[in-house]
Amino acid sequence: MDALGSLAYGFGIALTPFNLLLALVGAALGTAIGALPGIGPINAIVLLLPLCFSLHLPPESALIMLAGLYYGSGYGGRISSILLNIPGDPGLAMTTIDGYPLAQQGRGAAALALSGIGSFVGGTLTVVLLTLLAVPLARLAVRFGPAEYVSLMVLSFALLSTMGQGRIAKTWASIAIGLLLAMVGVDGGSGVERFTFGSLELLGGIDFTTLTIGLFAVSEILIVVEGLHGGRIADFKGGERLRLPEVVGCIPTMLRATGIGFLAGVLPGTGAAVASALAYTAEKRISDRGTFGKGDMRGLAAPETADNAAQTASMVPMLALGIPGSGTTAVLLGALMMYSITPGPLLFTQRPEIAWGLIASMYIGNIMLLLLNLPLVGLFARLLLVPYWILFPAILALSYAGVYAATNSAFELVLTTVIGVVAYVMRKVEIPLIPLLIAFVLERLLEDNLRRALSLSDGSPTILFASPFAIVFWVLAAVVLLLPLIAPRLRRRVRDMSESEGT
Amino acid sequence: MAASATFDRIVGAVFLLLGIGAMWHAQGLQVAFAADPLGPKPFPAIVGAALAVAGAALVVRSGRVAWQSGAWVKVAAVAAAAIVYPLLLVPLGFIAATSLLSLVLARALGGGWWQSVVASVILSAAIFAVIDLMLGLPLPRGPMGH
Repeated sequence: MDALGSLAYGFGIALTPFNLLLALVGAALGTAIGALPGIGPINAIVLLLPLCFSLHLPPESALIMLAGLYYGSGYGGRISSILLNIPGDPGLAMTTIDGYPLAQQGRGAAALALSGIGSFVGGTLTVVLLTLLAVPLARLAVRFGPAEYVSLMVLSFALLSTMGQGRIAKTWASIAIGLLLAMVGVDGGSGVERFTFGSLELLGGIDFTTLTIGLFAVSEILIVVEGLHGGRIADFKGGERLRLPEVVGCIPTMLRATGIGFLAGVLPGTGAAVASALAYTAEKRISDRGTFGKGDMRGLAAPETADNAAQTASMVPMLALGIPGSGTTAVLLGALMMYSITPGPLLFTQRPEIAWGLIASMYIGNIMLLLLNLPLVGLFARLLLVPYWILFPAILALSYAGVYAATNSAFELVLTTVIGVVAYVMRKVEIPLIPLLIAFVLERLLEDNLRRALSLSDGSPTILFASPFAIVFWVLAAVVLLLPLIAPRLRRRVRDMSESEGT
Repeated sequence: MAASATFDRIVGAVFLLLGIGAMWHAQGLQVAFAADPLGPKPFPAIVGAALAVAGAALVVRSGRVAWQSGAWVKVAAVAAAAIVYPLLLVPLGFIAATSLLSLVLARALGGGWWQSVVASVILSAAIFAVIDLMLGLPLPRGPMGH
């Protein structure tokens, strides 16, 4: 089946009234949750994942809804970035640089409209690329054996540690902890209990919803309670509306940013934060006349477009290889695994309704969000006025209700809290949490492939280096790992970009 | 508070110990049967070693972390409430237990007493209504029974 035929099949699934409704619910809820100050896309998905799962939605419907949430939260996140100067997620940090000044000048409504359009352009163009690229890539990946997979995953960990935020040693520690946490429970190949310490509850391993709610929702709330963030809401009413020439003036910017966002998003480990930072820096080089940072429309359009393009592009490795490049795609993959579906290149042939239904729903989701956001943004922005003492208790209560609904165990709630407190401390000492999450999701795939490779070779590790692809991946991983030693300045610049103020 | 290297050293030492612990745990596994030549031991040992190395690197070359401490008493109170919450959930039921947890959090976030009490009870009841009654996912009902 060619890409267009498959896409038509996908639309057939995504356009059923039920799935369309789920996409709409996801997009609207995502925008609302994303609009809450300090709550990023990952929290939006994490919060609703347990409910999605316990409602026994079919996997493609659950994924369509979660993807709607993912996009929606991106649209919503820019509301608090632009009006409050609080980015809900590192990918949105660059949005504040020109977005907040625009809001202060009374052009908040125009800024929100432009960022909606930019996100739409970045998202839609990238979905087209995804449609064309996913199958060829998956076809290539089908031929990957266990050795290729092991080396590919090591490569993506290397990329995470070098390109991501934070110190390399801390990222590796985070990856190692994620892998160890995923090993808790009975080992499939031998029936041996690992890291259970005699606890019956841990035999089945750590539940994915428990981990994600603890890691993101609980730790986020503790950070909010600590009260170091704050901000005043800028006016979003009135002011001059967005003019057509302003949008037209931003089109070249958006196209450039889409390209940058796509490339950064396809690579594991870089993701939206680096993409929007790169796009902003590039755009500043090209078009700055001393206006950037003071409310330049192009300075807003570039990171917004790149952010959405990267978000969408990170679906490429997730769908074609089964390897998540970002925290959010890791959650989507984890959701698939909760349905006992093995992600990977075979998804396109074995479960086309999931792969193509999801891709088609991205087209629909982007249009839906644009239609939802342009007229209703004022309504969503009003959510910023809800006092914290109502908002966060509601989020915490919903989190625990979700974990309980998904697991039916009070023990899991204790575990959720413990993970949340540990994650809070990790954030305080600047240990990134996303690598932990990605590693947790990848552990099974990595260990299974490692053991399968060595079964094929009767225990000889040379098999890991025996194929051309595997060798290429190992060499790339080595280069990426050694890069900071060869070019320390390069790494520092990438890191400075992705580590902007406020996150 | 000023930036200090102490945090990195402590964190590094913890990672070092955890990594060594993981390797020790992996070595101690009793494997009667394994479907593959590698078995369940080496992978946790490798990952434990990686964690130990990362921890050692943090101890030796510790960076400065600026620990900004805000209202840590409130953080501790909310964390304590969240630890106690699961123990109360089944005996008291979702609405009562969640109201108590939400009350602590609402107070910590600056809500007044009456505001917090009203908000906590209403939102707990609302979430119960949506998840248990509307979506049909059972939450503990406590003394009210089934």
